[in-house]
Formats: sequence, structure tokens, C-alpha cells
Amino acid sequence: MATTTAAPASAPVHDASPGQTGLWSWVTTVDHKRIGVLYLYTALFYLLVGGLEAALIRTQLARPNLSVVSAETYNQLFTMHGTTMVFLVVMPLSAAFFNYLIPLQIGARDVAFPRLNAFSYWVYALGGLFITLPIFFGVAPNGGWFGYAPLSGPTYSGGFNMDFWVLGLQILGISSLAAAFNFITTIINLRAPGMTLMRMPMFTWMSFVVQFLVILAFPVITAALFFLQFDRFFGTNFYQVQAGGDPLLWQHLFWVFGHPEVYILILPAFGLVSEVLPTHSRKPLFGYNVMAYSGIMIGFLGFGVWAHHMFAVGMGPVADSIFSMATMLIGLPTGVKIFNWIATMYGGSLRFPTSMKFAIGLIAMFTIGGISGVMHSSPPSNMQQTDTYFVVAHFHYVLYGGAMMGIFSGIYHYFPKITGRLMNETLGSWQFWLNFIGLNLTFFPMHFSGMLGMPRRIYTYDAGQGWDLFNLMSTAGTYMLVVAGLIFAFNFFRSRKVGALAGNDPWGAPTLEWSIPSPPPDYNFAQIPEVTSRYPMWDLKSPERTAGLEHSHADAAAITEAHAVPIHEETERRTAAELGIPMPFNTIKPFMVALGIIVMFSGMIVLHAGKFPLAMAMMIGGGAFLVGSLYAWLTSPLE
Amino acid sequence: MPKLHLRRFPTVAVLALVLLALSACGGDYPNSTFSHHTELNDGAVFLWDRMMLLGTIVFVVVEVVLVYTIFKFRRREGGPAPRQIQGNAALEITWTVIPALILVFLAVPTVRTIFESQRKAPDGAVQIEVIGHQWWWEFRYPQYGIVTANELYLPIGRTANFSLRTRDVLHSFWIPQMGGKRDLIANKTNYLWFTPKADLTSSAWNGACVEYCGSSHANMRFRAFTVTPAEFDKWVAHQKTAAAGSPAAMPAPDTSTKGAAKVPVKMAGMPGMPGMTATATPAPAPEAWVFPLEKMKAFTLPSTPLPATRFDDALLAAGDPKAGREIVTNVAKAPCLTCHNIKGETQYLNDDQAKGPNLTHFGTRHTFAAGLFRTDARTLALWIKNAPLMKPGSIMPTFGTGEYNALMKQKVTAGGLDDKQIADVVAYLLSLK
Repeated sequence: MATTTAAPASAPVHDASPGQTGLWSWVTTVDHKRIGVLYLYTALFYLLVGGLEAALIRTQLARPNLSVVSAETYNQLFTMHGTTMVFLVVMPLSAAFFNYLIPLQIGARDVAFPRLNAFSYWVYALGGLFITLPIFFGVAPNGGWFGYAPLSGPTYSGGFNMDFWVLGLQILGISSLAAAFNFITTIINLRAPGMTLMRMPMFTWMSFVVQFLVILAFPVITAALFFLQFDRFFGTNFYQVQAGGDPLLWQHLFWVFGHPEVYILILPAFGLVSEVLPTHSRKPLFGYNVMAYSGIMIGFLGFGVWAHHMFAVGMGPVADSIFSMATMLIGLPTGVKIFNWIATMYGGSLRFPTSMKFAIGLIAMFTIGGISGVMHSSPPSNMQQTDTYFVVAHFHYVLYGGAMMGIFSGIYHYFPKITGRLMNETLGSWQFWLNFIGLNLTFFPMHFSGMLGMPRRIYTYDAGQGWDLFNLMSTAGTYMLVVAGLIFAFNFFRSRKVGALAGNDPWGAPTLEWSIPSPPPDYNFAQIPEVTSRYPMWDLKSPERTAGLEHSHADAAAITEAHAVPIHEETERRTAAELGIPMPFNTIKPFMVALGIIVMFSGMIVLHAGKFPLAMAMMIGGGAFLVGSLYAWLTSPLE
Repeated sequence: MPKLHLRRFPTVAVLALVLLALSACGGDYPNSTFSHHTELNDGAVFLWDRMMLLGTIVFVVVEVVLVYTIFKFRRREGGPAPRQIQGNAALEITWTVIPALILVFLAVPTVRTIFESQRKAPDGAVQIEVIGHQWWWEFRYPQYGIVTANELYLPIGRTANFSLRTRDVLHSFWIPQMGGKRDLIANKTNYLWFTPKADLTSSAWNGACVEYCGSSHANMRFRAFTVTPAEFDKWVAHQKTAAAGSPAAMPAPDTSTKGAAKVPVKMAGMPGMPGMTATATPAPAPEAWVFPLEKMKAFTLPSTPLPATRFDDALLAAGDPKAGREIVTNVAKAPCLTCHNIKGETQYLNDDQAKGPNLTHFGTRHTFAAGLFRTDARTLALWIKNAPLMKPGSIMPTFGTGEYNALMKQKVTAGGLDDKQIADVVAYLLSLK
């Protein structure tokens, strides 16, 4: 409580340069690039955790009637696998790219609120620990990542398990919401001169759409979680069925959030491959406008299809029909994206570095997930598919074949920008092919086991049900994915040290982020560029490619001239101070505010344990710490 | 190396998919959803077939064009610079409109089937109440006054109209071969109906809970028997009688005649029951009819591993049903009847309060513990001795003295049963034919 003044208001003149090192510099950083890197490393750590959970799940299901883990442990594992992969891996990996790329792509020096950005990260990192650590003590959440009431309520889950889930998701929601507002403000306000909305790189476009999905979807889950939290801690009856509560209220609220969440997970990956494909095809993105509009369309329709997760709950024929057709409709803008990506490659001059392999992998695999998605949209048939392994197959093609493939593509593509070095292509190729084969070996057989009657979320199954072979294949595939993951980790850490030097623009890419050194200086752009078209770097390096595009200047010759995008490669690196660029101070306060939040929420757990005075002390103390830190934050100058 | 792989990829992928598809066609898949045993599943399979066809066309077109593009347009040194195409409105409209048209061919039959499958059940249906419990199934036939558990009898050729409720958390009712599932929602009654087709033979099917419902969700299974109308009538006539050995069943001729006499009256309006009156009128206790064990295929017989709990088989052979009944029906000796009902014995709870399966004709069930185990003396003895060990989270208490009760996290010291007593209880339960 009394430590709100821990950090001196004016941090010791670390002028935040890339050379800055040490733990303290990472805890206090407000540089969007370093925060992006923090997101990346943290999310990769959780990817390891979630992946090991998956490996245990698949080991248990390798053969019928195994008991590698107990029923209780299995239920914790599948709950945490889902929760981890959605909230602690795919969303934060996307956030890593939002952080790193959006300011660079729009020609800004940082995000709109650098300290809020740090705060988002720390809430995520600490909230992730809050929800992950319990599994090591056997009290991890065990009600599924969907937390259906009344099973998640106090009557049927009386232990601490679901407390961690409810509170953990609330914490993570704070992080996502703060980040979303930050990025929306950044994209609207900090674009370089000439960077109109319709000139933004497609990744920034998709990120822009995603932030709106976050600010519209997360309040819904927040409300749903508050109801559950009050049921669990304070005896309300929102979902308490014995007192007349309504379990369908939870389902509707959860899926009003949960379905847009799917697009929150996939659209950033779509954005990433929309950067990779044109670069390695040496052609502009086919149908840029339609690509942007279809993203918006997916975002809109994404809010109107939630009940297709609920065709079995008995909503009646009219609601079933409406949600069915809305779901079919969403296939259209998604299909358009697939076709436009292929058209981008068609007639191009294709090169296949690992990033391109993963991008093409996304097109090929997401198509499968998309088609099986349309198959779910027909309720009479869906009634045979829902809650079987067919659904597991479907959404893993979407989230692994789609989101993760796109993210791996993005990592290979942007690793040189982030570290200044290239990742090893041979290892990358191995990783891609192991991933590609492993993913199909794991998830394709699940279509069969599902349609042949295997329910989801079962910790064991009896012999002789016709599922043995498919399950064994899935398990073998999972081990391949684990090996692929280890190769990636090896490649990632090795390339950081010994990878070939990348230079500013190793791929011949079209957008602004490639005009500056790798890794970029803390101020990003020594001089804010003026943008006259969608592909400023191509304007500069190969103007013939962008000749057909609309430019700010009619005179083609003027384009190159007007595009005084400073190429920093040759110039000597200078510090922000030398260039007279004001940089935000490093500060510990966002971390402290995040810590206060965690302490407050932990107090709820202590409250459940029956230690009322300690719980009050933690909540009031954490709250006071939070308010004090926030006050110090708001009253200290940014730069 | 990457080049080599890229060339091989389509061949390998197509080969793998074909192999998988073949392997799926050849084997024995007892829970397949692609059956035509009910009109409900006819609708689902029709839509599936159409989606599969349209989906396969889309898939093949997309992947072929993609693979063609990858090979055709790979970069060649010194090759010409690619034409810079920003987009093509006509093309983009085309590939928006074509999928939209495809979807129309899916949407129309979808909506039609939705309304068909959710209309009111036809008259003359057998009404079945399905009540989900953590983690077992209660089945009631209100037209016949039958309450049973985990084994469902469905007359062939007659619509089964299910009303679905749950006593606790959400569950979902599913017999894959009979058609789609329906959730059991607290504070709500859901409905589902289908008609096992007249050309079915007497057969056994697997069913399962498919909504995650806690620790033993995986262990919440059941069996469904489609039986001929005559067999169904025999089963009904027997199931509605009081339990063997109960005071109600003791003066055998009197009570059972009374009970049986009601049968033709209630049945009169039901279709598909010729001969009912003839078989049931002057009868003594109706002959017990259950689905013959020999007809149950291997996949319907559980092979759940048993725990290492010790039990002396010699005791089982010497089990005394009468002594067993003394224990089961006397709540001072064992609290069985505070959770389970046995028709004809003292009733402590009405059916809506009972926490455990109705045991009236327990001996006629081929499986127990929600289809997890086969009903045989040894398995049953282990179950009574320590149920939570065999089904995680089960609220069936651990009765074996000295056994560790995982639910209460302690050893059973007082109030337990010794192996001799358990053997008697087993003998009694198995005698409940």
C-alpha cells in the first residue's frame, strides 16, 4: 500500500534504445516493439503448456479404456487446453503482431497509449499465470472452456477449480479490452500522412476489424462471467437451477461472445497471410477492397450466428432456420478471401520460403475447416455432428490449420524484422511439413471418429466401438506436431543468435515496416514518411508493380520522389535524442496496476477458502495499491 | 529438399485421404450416424449427402486450382515479371454468386427438414420420459407406469416420443444410429421423436451422453433395444409388476392378476398391438421377457476394466437372496432405499426424489452403472463394495468395510458391509428379474 512511489517519476535517464538490456528494462518498457516481443515469448511459453496438455489428452485416448490420467485430471486438461489455446496463445500471439506491426505499418512512432499497452501485457501475463498455475496443484478449472452453467456453478463445482476460470477470464478480458481501445485509437489517429484507410496494409485492416469485435464481444462475456461470479461467491441465482435460474442465459451470452471470438482468433492470421502472399508472389493483393470489406462483413455476420452452437438445446424451428441461414451466409465473405488469395498467387512469380509455405498451408487447410463449418450450419445434420469429434476436427482445421498456420507464417516472415536475422529455411521446411502432415494425421481422422459416434470430452471410451484406429492415428499425429513444435523452438532460439543478417527488407515486401532497419530503432521512423499508395516500398523499388494503382500524385515519376521513405540501411543508427524525437519514459507503474488487479482477484479465492479477514485485506490492499499506482501513473509525464 | 516435398505433396495428401476414406468404409462401425433406421436420421443423412457432394466439389476445385497455381507460377530465374493485376470485379462477383447459389441448394432442404423433424409427434406414439442424472439415465414410460434406468426399449414401427429433462446439470441424449441428439436442460423440457423403421430386426444399440456433465461424463452411456411390438408388450407387461420377493408380489396370483388385468384396457387405443388381450388376460405373473443376451453384439457389451478390489468368488456362489433382501430393504442395515426405489417394497422417496436408479427389475438389465459394466455377480459385488472406485465421482457410497471412499476421502469403518453380506445383496439384486 505504501509502496506506490516505488518507481521514481523520472526514470534514470535510460533513453529507451534497442541496446537497452536487463530484466528491469523489460518490466518497465513502454516500447510497442518490446511489448510485442514480450507478448510473443509469453504466448510461445503458453503454447508449450497448451501443447503438452494436448499431448497428454491424446496419450490418454490412444487406446480404449486407458488410464494414463484420471477422469478428473483429464477434465482439467481438456478445459485448460481450450482455455490456454484461445486466451493465452492465439489471442496473445495475434496481440504480439498487433503491437509490433500496427505502428510500423501505419508509419507511427508508437501506439496511442504506450503505458496502457504495457498494462495490457502485464495483465495478460499475470492473469495467464493465475489461470495456469492451478493445474500443477490439481485444482485447475474442470468445467470446459465454455463453462456451461449449472455445471460451472457453486452447486456442481464447489471447489476452487472454476473460481480460477471465472476470475482468470475476467482478468484476461481487462487486458484484451484495454488493448483493443488502444489499437483502435492508434489506427484512427496515428496513421502517417497519406495513409488513408484504404491504403492500410491488409494486416492492419484485419487487426482494425478484430479490435471492434473485441470491444463488442468482451463486454458480453464479462457480463456473463459477473453473473457466474456472483452465483459462485455471493449466492445470486442467475444460473442456479434449483432457484429457477436459467442455464440457457449463460449459453446465449457465452456464444454471443464465443462466436465473434472465433473471428478474433482467425482474422489476424488472415491479415498476416495477406501480407505474405503478395510479397512472395510479386503481385499486389488481388481485390484489396473486397478483402477489406469481406473482413468487415465477417465481423458483422459473426455477431448474428452464435446460436448455431446451440442447435441441440431446442430453440424451435424458426430460430434454428434463421441461425442456420445466417451461418451459411458467413461462408460467402470467407470463401471470397480464399479465392482472392489464390488469385493473388495466380499469374505471380512465386517463391516458397517457410512463411509462404505456411501461408499456402492456411489456404489449403482453412478450406477444409470452412467446408466442414458450412456442414454444421444445417441443424438436422448438425444434430448428428454437434458434441462429437467431428466438431473437434472442424475447429482444429480452423484454429490450427488456419490461425496457427497463419501465425507461423507471420513469425517466419517478421522474425527478420524483429531480430535482424533470418530463420533457418531448412529447419523451417521440416517444421512446415511435419506440421502439415501431423495436423492432417491428427485432425482428419477425427471427422471419422465423430461421424461414427464418438462424443467429445470423454476421458475414455470402450473397445470395439469402431474408433480405435482413428484415435491411434490422431495420437500419432499429435506427437508429430510436438516434434514440429520442438524444431520450431530450436530454430527460433538458434536463429536469434546465428541466423543470416536480414537487412531492412529481406523479402522485397511492399509495406512501410520494411523501409526501416531490422530491428527497428526505438523511434521506428527517423522521419515520418508520407504515403501516396498502398505499396510504398514497391513504389520505391519496383515502381512498375504499382503503376496501375491509384496514387496521390498523378505523375508516376513524382511517386518515387514523393515517397521519401527514408531507407535507413546505409545511414548510421542514431538515437532518439540525437534526432530530437521525444520518447516516452520507461515506467513500472502499469506493471504495478496490473499486480494490484491480480492481488484483488486472488482475494476472491481466499474468500472462497473462508479466510475472510485475509481476503478483505487482499482486496482492499490490492485495490488501494491499484488506485495509488494508477494515480502515480496518471500524474507522471509520458515523455 | 523443400522442392522435392512440394512435388510430392498432392500425391501424398490425396493418397492419404483416399486410404482413410477406404478404411472408414471397410470396417465395422456400430455407432455410425449414417444409418437409415429412423425418419429423423433419413433427413440428417440426406442433408449430409448433399453437403458432402457440394463440399467435395468446392474442396476439389479450390485445392486443384491452388496446387496448379503453386506449380505453374513458381519463380523461374530470368522469367518475365508477373502481370500486376489488382483485382477483377467480374471474377469476384462470380465467386461470390456461385457459392451463394450453392448455399440455396442447401438452405431450402435444410429449412424443410427442420420444420418436418420438429413438428408434433404422430398420434399413438409411445411416450418416454428421459431424465438425466449425474451420471446415469432414468427412463419412464408414463403410459405403462414403468420406471427403469440405463436400458431403453423401443417398439419397432411405432414412434417414440421423448420428453427430456435433467435432475441436475445439462446432458444430451443420443443414439447415433437412431438420429440426432437433443440436450437435457435444467428448468426446461425438450422433445425429440423418431420412429424405428418397421424393417428393423430386434437389435441392441449404444447411446451416450454428449453434453459435458462432469467427472464421469464419459461413463454416462446407455443401451437401446429396438424390439418387435409383441416383444415390447411382453416386456411392458413384466416391467410393470412389483419386484420379486416384495410383499406386493408375494401372494403371487392375486396381485399380479390385478396388475395384469389393467393392461388390455390401457393398451386398447394403441396401434400395432394385436393379440395383446389374448396374452394378458387371465395370466398369473407375466413371464419375464428381456432382450436376449445372445442377440447383443459385442459392441453393446461393455468391457470396462475392473478394479483390483478383492472378492471371494465362493461367497458369491453361496449368496442368499432372502438375506440380501433383509439388508437392502432395511434402512437400519443399509441405506439403499433412501436413494433407490423398488416397486412393492417400502417407499421412502417418490420417483422425482430418488437419487439412484429404480431397482425393481434390476436383474433383467444386461448392464448397470449407466452401461459401464455387465450385470454379473462378481462385477456387482465389486461395485457395491466400492462404487466411486469404478466410476469417478459416483455418489453411490462405498459399502465395503475397510475400503477407501474416494468421495468422502476416508476409509469405511463403521456401517459398512462385509463380503458375505455383499454376496447376499448381490444375490438379491440379481433375483430381481
